[in-house]
Amino acid sequence: METRPYFIAGDLFSNALVGALAAWAAASLVAPGWPMLPAMFAAMAVGMALAMALCFFALVPLFGAMEVMLPCMFGGMLAAMGFGMVAADRALTASEALLGGAAVGIGALLFCWLFEAWLGWRRNRG
Amino acid sequence: MDKVTEHKWDRAALSYDLMSRFGPERRWAPAKRELFSHMRGPRILFLAAGSGLDFPFFPPGLEIDAIDISARMLEQAQPRAEAYSGTIRLQHMDVHDMSFADGEFDQVFTSCTFCSVPDPVAGLRALRRVLKPGGELYMFEHTGSRYFPFKLMLKLMTPLSQRFGPAMDRDTVSNVDKAGFELQWLRPVYLDVVNTLCAHNPG
Repeated sequence: METRPYFIAGDLFSNALVGALAAWAAASLVAPGWPMLPAMFAAMAVGMALAMALCFFALVPLFGAMEVMLPCMFGGMLAAMGFGMVAADRALTASEALLGGAAVGIGALLFCWLFEAWLGWRRNRG
Repeated sequence: MDKVTEHKWDRAALSYDLMSRFGPERRWAPAKRELFSHMRGPRILFLAAGSGLDFPFFPPGLEIDAIDISARMLEQAQPRAEAYSGTIRLQHMDVHDMSFADGEFDQVFTSCTFCSVPDPVAGLRALRRVLKPGGELYMFEHTGSRYFPFKLMLKLMTPLSQRFGPAMDRDTVSNVDKAGFELQWLRPVYLDVVNTLCAHNPG
């Protein structure tokens, strides 16, 4: 598990940023009235593409490679899917999407931390 | 020499340090330092040297042959090799077509290499050829994952990432076994996607 403050802060910042922007992009792309399934897949594709671009061009050089890419891709995908589906149902404000997306991004990071702890526990158990 | 791979890494050399020097290298520094602390020699092969970002993690005073498929990477690695307290001999070479004699090395080290070697099992067999019987292979590698959703994401990323850099979904641990090495230990660095490992050449 990562314990250095710079990288922990970097992970939190990266995941909040990617989640927020992915949700905002999904909410901007999808309009109320879209069928739910195409909205979900279109938003997911946008979220993953955005996460990948942000990681490659900004976040990886600053904070690490796989440790940044995997949680950010996961968070970006989830945030975009979720907010894309909500946007298909009703109009979302930018602040709703940005704040909600940031929370989803942090949630995805926490999931990765817990998953890593679980893997460590399983290994130690033999 | 695999010209497609050589050209890809020559292009990647332009931005390699910008991408890797600060975040990834600092993040992986403790694991790399620990792995390279096993360097004893007397004959050590390091591949792929890249731009030489790993050289500062090497223990001092050793004699190391370092190869890379990209001449541009090696140009960047040259000053870092000269700054090393021992000797690092840089050579432009493809792992599939190494000019070293059979059993020439006591130890082989790799760092983020087998995500990029086009035929990883053949590349690992080539390493076995140049390793003495009982010689040691130490690797720092990122691989695919066995777990959803990471497995899916790494598979989705690979077609794009492979165009300008590494594959993200390699099963390097299995490939080490397929190439005939005996795995001694495997240590995770991040989830099950970044690992260090040690394997022996049974001869």
